[in-house]
Amino acid sequence: MPFKIYVCVKHVPDSAANITILDKTRIEEKITFIINPFDENAIEEAVQLRSKVGDAEVVAVTIGKPAAVETLRSAMAMGADRGIHVVTGDPPDSIATARALKAAILADGAPDIIFTGKGSIDSEGFQTMFRLGAALGVPAANNVASFRLEGRTATVESELEAGGRAVIRMPLPCVIGAGKALNKPRYPILPDIMKARKKPIRTVPMESLDIGTPPASVQLIELRPFSDRRQAKLIPGPVEKAVEELVRLLREEAKVI
Amino acid sequence: MNKKYDAIIIGAGVIGCPIAYELAKMGYKTLNVDKNSDAGLGSTAATCAIIRAHYSTEDGVAMAYEGMKYWKDWENYLGGVKDEKGLAKFMNTGSILLKSKGHDWRKVKKNYDAVGVQYEDWSVERVVKAAPVYDLHEHWPVRRPEDSEFWNESTGMLEGALYCPEGGYVNDPVLSTHNMMRATQAHGGEFLFNVEVVAVRSEANQVKGITLKDGSQFDAPVVVNVAGPHSFKINQMAKGVWEGCNIKTKALRHEVMHCPSPEGYNYYGDGYHTSDADLGIYYRPEVGNMFLIGSEDPKCDPKVYPDPDDFYAGKGGAGEDNQLSEAQWKAQCYRLGRRVPTLRVPNQPRGVVDLYDCSDDWIPIYDKSDMKGFYMAIGTSGNQYKNAPVVGAMMAELIDACQKGLDHDANPFQYKLKYLPRSFNVGFFSRKREINTNSSFSVNG
Ligand SMILES: Cc1cc2nc3c(=O)[nH]c(=O)nc-3n(C[C@H](O)[C@H](O)[C@H](O)COP(=O)(O)OP(=O)(O)OC[C@H]3O[C@@H](n4cnc5c(N)ncnc54)[C@H](O)[C@@H]3O)c2cc1C
Repeated sequence: MPFKIYVCVKHVPDSAANITILDKTRIEEKITFIINPFDENAIEEAVQLRSKVGDAEVVAVTIGKPAAVETLRSAMAMGADRGIHVVTGDPPDSIATARALKAAILADGAPDIIFTGKGSIDSEGFQTMFRLGAALGVPAANNVASFRLEGRTATVESELEAGGRAVIRMPLPCVIGAGKALNKPRYPILPDIMKARKKPIRTVPMESLDIGTPPASVQLIELRPFSDRRQAKLIPGPVEKAVEELVRLLREEAKVI
Repeated sequence: MNKKYDAIIIGAGVIGCPIAYELAKMGYKTLNVDKNSDAGLGSTAATCAIIRAHYSTEDGVAMAYEGMKYWKDWENYLGGVKDEKGLAKFMNTGSILLKSKGHDWRKVKKNYDAVGVQYEDWSVERVVKAAPVYDLHEHWPVRRPEDSEFWNESTGMLEGALYCPEGGYVNDPVLSTHNMMRATQAHGGEFLFNVEVVAVRSEANQVKGITLKDGSQFDAPVVVNVAGPHSFKINQMAKGVWEGCNIKTKALRHEVMHCPSPEGYNYYGDGYHTSDADLGIYYRPEVGNMFLIGSEDPKCDPKVYPDPDDFYAGKGGAGEDNQLSEAQWKAQCYRLGRRVPTLRVPNQPRGVVDLYDCSDDWIPIYDKSDMKGFYMAIGTSGNQYKNAPVVGAMMAELIDACQKGLDHDANPFQYKLKYLPRSFNVGFFSRKREINTNSSFSVNG
């Protein structure tokens, strides 16, 4: 039995795109979508682990609209062996997503380890990976900056908000949320991209998965733009006066000093 | 009383500034107006600033080669003026034109010989010696990655290249424009920023001046349209001018990608500017050891002509707005991936999108107009950055001659180049010309 590495990836809007909100809860999707950047670190770590383990397989899993297949192709160009696409309409919340990921993974095989990104750059919920661990009844660590596997024990360093690192030891299977510091993703070269076009993807309709009825759910009420276009402000006059005015603005208006 | 000038130049981009500079040197009291906040922040800000000599017409080659001489002699051109931001630098990488079915390079070679451009004829082996990461298999015709044939293995090889050792690019196009603004100011030229021209005033078919959005007016017997991608809008403001042009201009969207050089290869230090019509792209080194990848707009690619105001406001969505699109990111990077198989392509697009001020035959209009005193230097079609200093001198002399009574339409002005021993029929760039069928109808001009 090969060692089974699953990597959960998400199809997200490019943060550089011009986001337009349509009727409160949806965005105009005629923009560039990419693989969630933290998921690139997850794929990279999975691929490195596969080469260490030897007899191992990396399977990328995504839950998303039909267009999310592009993100699976990106994951496979970066080295995943095959993909599973759970096709949905509107994006499910993190509770349903975690249940769907669990169902899709268990229907495919018995995971030895699961990698995800530490969060997604669109919804930024930072919950899915913990919920996935809970749903599977396995340990999880997020914002992982270093990873080591010895036998069936994973040792990770998890970056904490305050700047410290927690060292966590977990038995397999477990869920690892990759942070930016974990590795430097290697981007694919054209021959990798060509190979990825031929790798298999299994498509599973979301409705066909038995995810039960979660006891709670999150409802999206309204999307609002995070910030309006920033306006540069020119402070005229001689340098001394301009500096005084700048300090006053930073203190009184921006309240940053 | 409206403030009066001898010449008002609409636009302070890389074309508007040298025109003002040369007019100011001749003694004209000039004013450049621009709706951006500084010089060179229009489409010039996104230019690849490649300085190459290969064009499909002999005059095109002559002008570009002349332009190259200016860039190599930048400090002198500016008359020793100081710019507090420093001076732009010409990066002399050398320029490779790959011989392929996509580029009529024989015509280029003939033009090189006629003009006296220095070049070398390179074999495939010689190209690979210079650029070891290149794979010179042939991929013609250009396709998109969405087309399954894009992925076919290539069997043929390219023939080699024409190499022009004097080619390269300018490291900071905005700075180069700023340099020319400072040089103009040193001769008394004025600049007004953050102002939008909304009307061109005239009386009895003689231009009188301009009106800004805030209602203020400036008068001059000479007004020059150098508005880049907005050129057609300015021509439409001047009564009868747009209608009097046989060649029209419109704004064409163009994406430029930044993709990291393959590991272990110093493209920034060792690489060449390359025109690769076999794959419909051109590329040059960029800071950060990047490949900067532009498109030669091959037939299979969609051409998008947005309204420039909507475009700069970020409207229209993927493939139409001012952000890179996933499809084009893949198209241009994967095409380069054919030439450089070790190129790593990130998942997240990086680069710039801007507009070409594209003319019907991809050759600019440097001309007078049907209105007395109204001139235009427009339709730069993605390939005139390199010519900017030449255009400045040529336009200033054309304007001066016309103001002194020359009937340029009947008796075209002959411009004497400053570096090359030849003259130039400025009628070549006439608004009244028929479409020039010698053109490549692409950024190659
Ligand atoms: C992506 C890209 C890559 C390119 N690469 C190359 C290259 O490698 N080599 C090369 O030789 N050429 C290249 N070009 C072409 C070259 O850069 C352009 O031809 C040149 O920059 C055009 O300069 P401009 O001054 O005409 O236009 P702009 O720089 O656009 O200047 C026009 C100015 O007019 C102002 N304006 C417009 N309307 C109004 C108004 N109503 N009121 C006030 N101001 C107004 C604008 O604000 C703007 O600043 C490229 C162009 C692009 C877009």
